[in-house]
Amino acid sequence: MLRSLSSLLCLWALRLPAGPGAASRGLDVASYRERVRAMFYHAYEHYLESAFPYDELRPLTCDGQDTWGSFSLTLIDALDTLLILGNVSEFQRVVNVLQEGVDFDIDVNASVFETNIRVVGGLLSAHLLSKKAGVEVEVGWPCSGPLLRMAEEAARKLLPAFQTPTGMPYGTVNLLHGVNPGETPVTCTAGIGTFIVEFATLSHLTGDPVFEDVARKALKALWKNRSDIGLVGNHIDVITAKWVAQDAGIGAGVDSYFEYLVKGAILLQDKELMSMFLEYNKAIKNYTKFDDWYLWVQMYKGTVSMPVFQSLEAYWPGLQSLIGDVDNAMRTFLNYYTVWKQFGGLPEFYNIPQGYTVEKREGYPLRPELIESAMYLYRATRDPTLLELGRDAVESIEKISKVDCGFATIKDLRDHRLDNRMESFFLAETVKYLYLLFDPDNFIHNDGSIFDVVVTPYGECILNAGGYIFNTEAHPIDPAALHCCRKQKEEQWEVEDLMREFYSLKRNKKFTLKRASDHGEGESVQDSVDASSENGREKRNSKKNAHSLLSCPSQSFNSKLAVLGQVFLDNT
Amino acid sequence: MGRSSQFGRAKDVTMPAKLPVNFFSTRSPVIDLFRGQLDYADHLRQDSEIVLYFFYAPWCGQSIAAREEIEHVASRLSDQVLFVAVNCWWNQGKCRKQKHFFYFPVIHLYHRSFGPIEYKGPMSAVYIEKFVRRVMTPLLYISSRSKLLDFLSNYEPGVLGYFEFNASPQPPGYLTFFTSALHSLKKDYLGTIRFGVITDKHVAEEISLAHSGSVYLHRHVNTSLIYPNDIMNYTAENICKWALENREMLIRWLRPHGGKSLLLNNELKKGPALLIFIPYNPLAEIHPLLDEITKVALEYHSCNKSQAAEPVLQHLGDVDSPAFDSPVPDVHTELSETFSITKYPCCNTVVLPQWHSISRTHNVCELCINQTFGVKPNKVNVPHCNFLEIEAALDSFYLQEHTFFQVISNTIECSNFLSFYSPFSYYTACCRTVNRHFLSFISSEKTIFQTPKVAFSSHGKKDKDDTQNSIPHIEDRNCFIPDLHDNGTNITGLSCRTNKTLNLYLLDSNLFWIYAERLGASRSTHLKEFAAIVDLKEEVHYVLDQNQSLTGSTLENFIKNFSVLYSPLKRHLVDDPSVHFHAQRIITEVTTNTFHDTVFSNEKNVLLLYYAQWCGFCASLNHIFIQLARLLPPDNFTVARIDITRNDLPWEFMTDRLPTILFFPHQRKEQSVKFPEDFPVNLPNLLKFILHYSSLSSSDHCTKECLHKETVLQQGHISHLEREIQKLRSEISALHQAHDKLEEQLSKARREEQRLQQQKHTLEKQHKTLQLHSEQLQSTYDQKNQELLAMAEKLQELADASENLLKENTLLRILVASKEGKLQLKDKAKEPVQSEQTLSDDNDVSVSTAATTLGEKRIDNIDTIETEHSSENRTG
Repeated sequence: MLRSLSSLLCLWALRLPAGPGAASRGLDVASYRERVRAMFYHAYEHYLESAFPYDELRPLTCDGQDTWGSFSLTLIDALDTLLILGNVSEFQRVVNVLQEGVDFDIDVNASVFETNIRVVGGLLSAHLLSKKAGVEVEVGWPCSGPLLRMAEEAARKLLPAFQTPTGMPYGTVNLLHGVNPGETPVTCTAGIGTFIVEFATLSHLTGDPVFEDVARKALKALWKNRSDIGLVGNHIDVITAKWVAQDAGIGAGVDSYFEYLVKGAILLQDKELMSMFLEYNKAIKNYTKFDDWYLWVQMYKGTVSMPVFQSLEAYWPGLQSLIGDVDNAMRTFLNYYTVWKQFGGLPEFYNIPQGYTVEKREGYPLRPELIESAMYLYRATRDPTLLELGRDAVESIEKISKVDCGFATIKDLRDHRLDNRMESFFLAETVKYLYLLFDPDNFIHNDGSIFDVVVTPYGECILNAGGYIFNTEAHPIDPAALHCCRKQKEEQWEVEDLMREFYSLKRNKKFTLKRASDHGEGESVQDSVDASSENGREKRNSKKNAHSLLSCPSQSFNSKLAVLGQVFLDNT
Repeated sequence: MGRSSQFGRAKDVTMPAKLPVNFFSTRSPVIDLFRGQLDYADHLRQDSEIVLYFFYAPWCGQSIAAREEIEHVASRLSDQVLFVAVNCWWNQGKCRKQKHFFYFPVIHLYHRSFGPIEYKGPMSAVYIEKFVRRVMTPLLYISSRSKLLDFLSNYEPGVLGYFEFNASPQPPGYLTFFTSALHSLKKDYLGTIRFGVITDKHVAEEISLAHSGSVYLHRHVNTSLIYPNDIMNYTAENICKWALENREMLIRWLRPHGGKSLLLNNELKKGPALLIFIPYNPLAEIHPLLDEITKVALEYHSCNKSQAAEPVLQHLGDVDSPAFDSPVPDVHTELSETFSITKYPCCNTVVLPQWHSISRTHNVCELCINQTFGVKPNKVNVPHCNFLEIEAALDSFYLQEHTFFQVISNTIECSNFLSFYSPFSYYTACCRTVNRHFLSFISSEKTIFQTPKVAFSSHGKKDKDDTQNSIPHIEDRNCFIPDLHDNGTNITGLSCRTNKTLNLYLLDSNLFWIYAERLGASRSTHLKEFAAIVDLKEEVHYVLDQNQSLTGSTLENFIKNFSVLYSPLKRHLVDDPSVHFHAQRIITEVTTNTFHDTVFSNEKNVLLLYYAQWCGFCASLNHIFIQLARLLPPDNFTVARIDITRNDLPWEFMTDRLPTILFFPHQRKEQSVKFPEDFPVNLPNLLKFILHYSSLSSSDHCTKECLHKETVLQQGHISHLEREIQKLRSEISALHQAHDKLEEQLSKARREEQRLQQQKHTLEKQHKTLQLHSEQLQSTYDQKNQELLAMAEKLQELADASENLLKENTLLRILVASKEGKLQLKDKAKEPVQSEQTLSDDNDVSVSTAATTLGEKRIDNIDTIETEHSSENRTG
């Protein structure tokens, strides 16, 4: 494909005095998409061949190993990627394999966090996508189903970890016996605050509120224990609520806590979660942000403790774009991209002042975060620079880490030595985000112009209308599904009553007003916006600070020109 | 995604990076040192005058993309330039060990020993080739007057050096000048400053350079400069610095390099900017469009009105005026004997009055006056072209004008005439026929000549029937009435006269068309020409009508229209062309162009959602709006949405937060209402909101019409209820299915229960036997326990006995000891007491018997201890 294209360009160049290149700046998105697809199958097929049913493939020795438990982790993690790539038949086959083969009644010490994001998250999203994938679903779907039951079972195994005085969970739990006696009470912040997306989805689908309750309790406990300047540290004792590691930043150990505050707020339309995030965001900007980099600081004093950029932090621009802070996101992204250009990957730690890797942290286990951000930002800006990052990622990963049996972790970015490991997130996230970056028409990017109608015993509901929320392991959750299984007949009746009003000519004014005042202070608010659009603009401006937390700012004028690396400073 | 901790469980199997392989094909004209042999690269450099190094990393996407471009350049220049590619990543290679690059590829050029000159321009073959060619010949050789004019007419700043080669093959300072040209390529990678060298004395005199070794910086608007040898040292760096500091930037290329940059920010913050997008091939010999733009830029910046600031216009016009050369040279040569001549034309566009022309066309003529006069010493390049002269020329022109009316055509015709008034000047007129509607407004325009017959062409904006025009709009109030604004403002020197000074920028649309698209360039045109005025501070931009071609005159008008007090320009609203209207869509997708029709010219109530695809809070509401649209009676309500990042709206309809929900009630569209932000966006709330605001309009008194309405409504209601029933039916069937399934599960559960009960029975039986067994065991246990107790008692007895024996034993020992003591006493007293012997014998016997009994007892004692031990072992 590429070859034929270049020869075409040469022909064209012969006819015209102008050379090529000028025109070749546009990237051939389709060919890169196909290369990503080929990457996926190269890794996936070798996993099935050499490593299944182990958790992970060891690409240098062509065998498998259990890493996070013993539940064929790579297969669970890669399941929804199959559907995103459009492979329906393999998806169906794997669903059957998992139903028969995976057992959570095993005497294994598992990480509560990893099991939640990879296993519970993977099963939940597979469950919600299974109808789209042509799996024959049972009547109660999406409120029941074998994959949902598996997810619920796995999640229940994690619940004992939450039985602590503070409500913050232990880091590790034995799937058979619960928390081991003598288990360390020290858990990292992300290990406490990364449950709400999966657990709230579980609660809404199954009707059992226990999951959402424990997740919320843990989130609130962290919020309560933030420092005076509004930061959280890296590790905390879940019994005494004392901070054990007091480094505050946005990367390893904390990252997905912030991510889940935002994603939880979007998924559940929850203002409280969002206000927590906005408070943190303020403190993060004040204390850790320097020249569009985010450093590590002491959580009580705010003094810089490590001037490093961590590979894991690269999710941040993507998160910012979700809440509409696109220009800041783009600026930080461009910083991170320079690091990629220097090494062909992102080292776990990068010392910003020295411009080099940090001792013992030179590896790149094919992490997805920067590509994830590129995908989100590409949605927002359509900036070709983001496709270029995708191109660079495909070229680097293929050139550096592809081996006969799969794709190997880069042990050291300085010399590109490889390690005998392929983490399950490579197929779950890295490949998925790359593919989605190069496939703007994928169903995941659906903007709401298409949707499915599903009839459940609880009523009719709309599904697959887009707006998928990715959990931190890139498993998409359909936010509409959360409204499918709530057995709140009251809302339905209310809607029925209101609909009757629409068809009666003599509309009862009192009735509507009464309805409006149901919401307490609503009356006054409605009156204030009752102004005509003539002077509406001034009014809106004056109320700028009173805006809803669950909204994004619209983009500024200069965002039109903020592509190809151009950034604009605020007018303020 | 977060990772709490890192596992290092895999055995320490690692693999070194793959060995480097060829990056370029072996047949490529590029020498590929893929093992990073930097020393060999240095060695190669000695053989070639010009060398290009391409430092790459094999994994780097940008290197891979640039490879093709480099190969293309190499194929064209390989006979003159040595192309060396070096893998600067492989950690065993020399290059990696010596160089420390933060990005790839890096291109370095060497001109003999001078270098490295880093190329930082676009990774596109034409630009690279151009740059390489500049490095090959950093100095342009200006051999003749016409070449000089060519050189000076360029829009980019030029530096000229005059060196007399007759005296010596290497005149003093020449090498420095040459180096400074190379140096400037290093500093100014866009290569905007051009360097030329004059060797001919007469040519040098044209720009008043008399001494060999002098250096001259040409400027169009300000006075040109001569390098001050006396103030600054004559070094390459200084010359370069001096040129960079003093150059004139009338119009600048913007070439963002792709990395994070504030280039546009810094330029646009200076004030409103005119961005002109043209396809540009740096290798092309001529750039007619660019020349036209240059002309406009020069005019715009030439502030002294009496000076025709452009000595170049005529020259630019040369392309269009083949007739130029024929009659003039005689005059020229003749005059040059007495005067040092240069041409300083002053041009104006004149439109021939309508009655001269065939009905639907106009003749537009470019009238230029070319003067010859002596150069005043020390004052370089002061053009002089005043009002009187133009008027004089104009008179001459009109005397000749009949000659033009025979040649009305679309091609440009030029003629030269000697002025009647001055022997030193002549003028040129180039005329062409222009379509009439471009000139529809010129009749109202005044000219500086106050000649009713003649007008400056001002191509008024075409008042086309755009759909945008119908949108109520702030700018609409100062509606475009051509008579109101005085387009008599000449563009010449406008930049100094207006308080809305524009900065002019060029962008290559081959590379940066995306900016044009984002400013609203239509995607359908294959001709990538576009101009827009961007005012960052006011957050507006204007676009040159895309139905007009981009020419000097349209640009001029565009600038003029921007500069006048009541600007007729309208804020451009970008709209999303990718949206197509779907009647079937349940939610109507609104764009800038359809906004008015959908929202205002619509008989229905409209609920409009402002959203953006990237905003998480918007996307998660999709399902609610779909539900709402399915519920609301479609005859009376439209649910619509607009992607606000891709569609601009007039200010009064803009919103600063997303999502925003506006309701435009039927019949009172101007009274739009916003859904209160404090309320959660859900179905009942939205319905209440709509009900509340749509209800106010319903009339109370009922007429026939109202009855009709009622029936329509009721019919709507019926169909709605039918839909509801349908829904309920399917729900019931779903419930039935669920019921069946539950039943099935229940029976399964019952069977399971039975099985479990049976199991329970057997388990109970087993339990009973086990209980029996345990009872038996208990009794044996008790028995054994008692036995053990008895044993223990016995043992206790034995222990007591042994204790007694031990006591006796000690007593006996004491006894024996005392006896022995007595015996000793007796032995001493034996001789004196003989009689006592018999007595002591008796005593001996009794002692020995006591000893034997004691021995027996001791044995017994040991036995009991042993049994005690063994019994302990057993119980233990």
